Amino acid sequence: MARSSYEYPGYERSGVGYWSKTALLYVVVTAGALWMTLPFWWTITTSLSANPQASEVSFIPAAVTLQNFVQLWERPDILLVRWFVNTVIFAGAVTLFNLTFDSLAGYALAKLDFWGRDKLFLGFISTMMIPGMVTLIPVYLILVELDWTNTYQGLIAPLIAGPFGIFLLRQHFKSLPTSLGEAAKIDGCNEFQTFYKIYLPLAKPALATLAIFTFMGAWNNFQWPLIIANENEMYTLPVALFAVRNQYFAEWGLMMAAALIIVAPVLVAFLAAQNYFIRGMSLSGMKG
Amino acid sequence: MALEEGDAGGDDSFGSAARDYLGRGRTAAGRRVGVTEDQDNLMGWLFVAPNVLVFSMFLLGPVLFAFYVSFQEWSILRNAGEFVGLENYLTVLQPLPVTSEGLNLRVFTNPTENLFWYSLKNTVVYAVGTVPLQILGGLAVALMLDKRVRAKKAYRAAYFMPVMLSGAASAVMWRWFLSADGVINNFLRPIGLAHNWAGDPATALGGVMLMAVWGGIGSNMIFFLAGLQNIPEELYEAARIDGASRWHLFRHVTWPNLGNTNFFVIVMAVISAFQVFGIALVFSEGGPYYATTTTVLLIYQRAFDEGAMGEGAAMAFILFLIIFAFSYYQYKHQQSGEVEY
Repeated sequence: MARSSYEYPGYERSGVGYWSKTALLYVVVTAGALWMTLPFWWTITTSLSANPQASEVSFIPAAVTLQNFVQLWERPDILLVRWFVNTVIFAGAVTLFNLTFDSLAGYALAKLDFWGRDKLFLGFISTMMIPGMVTLIPVYLILVELDWTNTYQGLIAPLIAGPFGIFLLRQHFKSLPTSLGEAAKIDGCNEFQTFYKIYLPLAKPALATLAIFTFMGAWNNFQWPLIIANENEMYTLPVALFAVRNQYFAEWGLMMAAALIIVAPVLVAFLAAQNYFIRGMSLSGMKG
Repeated sequence: MALEEGDAGGDDSFGSAARDYLGRGRTAAGRRVGVTEDQDNLMGWLFVAPNVLVFSMFLLGPVLFAFYVSFQEWSILRNAGEFVGLENYLTVLQPLPVTSEGLNLRVFTNPTENLFWYSLKNTVVYAVGTVPLQILGGLAVALMLDKRVRAKKAYRAAYFMPVMLSGAASAVMWRWFLSADGVINNFLRPIGLAHNWAGDPATALGGVMLMAVWGGIGSNMIFFLAGLQNIPEELYEAARIDGASRWHLFRHVTWPNLGNTNFFVIVMAVISAFQVFGIALVFSEGGPYYATTTTVLLIYQRAFDEGAMGEGAAMAFILFLIIFAFSYYQYKHQQSGEVEY
């Protein structure tokens, strides 16, 4: 039984000193947790208030109403369903492409032996250093030339592969035994079948992690859709929120209802698969 | 990021006896017998082809293209440019008052300052104010939630919740909390501190920073929790036998052994701080009076709102150099040994 890292000689789990320190610890941790979660609660209470004013929205709304949500649904210039569908298509397609391309590349970089492999990997990884803004202007100009602004392909294409996914999957494939592939080849599998039938199913945990974070990243992506989608019908939810914010400035009940609709799917997914999210986060960030 | 180099043959778990028996081992160079080098090369490049294509089209090509655009006066109508040499860089960097010609859509409140430098100042203030708090906050929470607290899962979930949130959504939320009749003033009014935090140039950037710290602690907490798992318990045992106090344990065991985590977390936090854009745009559109105009937001406004693509590209390149210099410095610093603070 491993002892706590914080024990040291003379430190007893009793006495006034211990209990007051423990109490202080809980006070600090709880205060921090409240700071993290209260904004979510305020967002909910504001979205349920008719005409949110300072004194009315605090911990419990004076009168609960759904009128903000009804308005989001009914206002003719708020294309809630369309924006929601756009976001699902955008995030879904980006996720599928990333899983496909990154697993192919990750596998090749981990298990195949080809000319220039290690340099290529280094090249992929170093692109993580390029700030988004540097490529944003030229990519936009390229897509203008292709006439892809305000289209799904324009939204999706620049995000269909990423160094992060390649890195994550390469590390995972590297950790799987090479003997599996050799056995498969003796049984007559070609390189692609070995990848697809043997290794890919074993990479499910890493694929799921990549799927979660790619989907979440695309769902919440603001910068790229803001630039490429400037017609009402092509907005994704975060961009639409920004546009709506300009029109209905200070209609806070409406804004908070809209914010909740963006947050809700991810938050529900997170609360349902919390451990997985957190494990994936540390795995994806730290494994090297 | 630590990269594993070499290891070209993979972790071959076939024993030599098995290889001999199957007759399909590897040559001394690690290549499988019966497969030519050309076939291997072709297969490998086929697997990476989609990524290579996407990277060259949307990353490497564009970086070169951006460099080209930064020397052009770009017309968005023709989607073509005219070579102007260093003019964009000079316009951006000139330490002279901003002229009405250079920024025709703006009325700058402080005409003795150049808007690019002003935005860099905002960005640096933002980075200096948020990065240490995000990192130290994340570390403190990770240490508190590592072992000693009951219900740590619930606490970790609570601290992680803001990470789930879209920047645009959190900016709208915090704008409301910090507005004149927002929720936070509910608590400050009784003690006479009510204020239009988001609408005052003196406090608006602080509001963006508060929101960023709120949203950044959770992810750093996770990275540090993962880092803490990797510290061998024996190191603590040994230090304890030597009579180390809890502070000494932290200072001489925990902190140095988080070296990789620290490097990763600091570089990531600084890079993302220098790229802050969306939350500032949604929170206040860079205002009031440019108080929250960060460099990337300025690039966005110049390039996409006002169509000055060449100037935007020039600013983006200067920012790129700044970020690159920082990352390179951190990398060298980390290689030279333990990170000391």
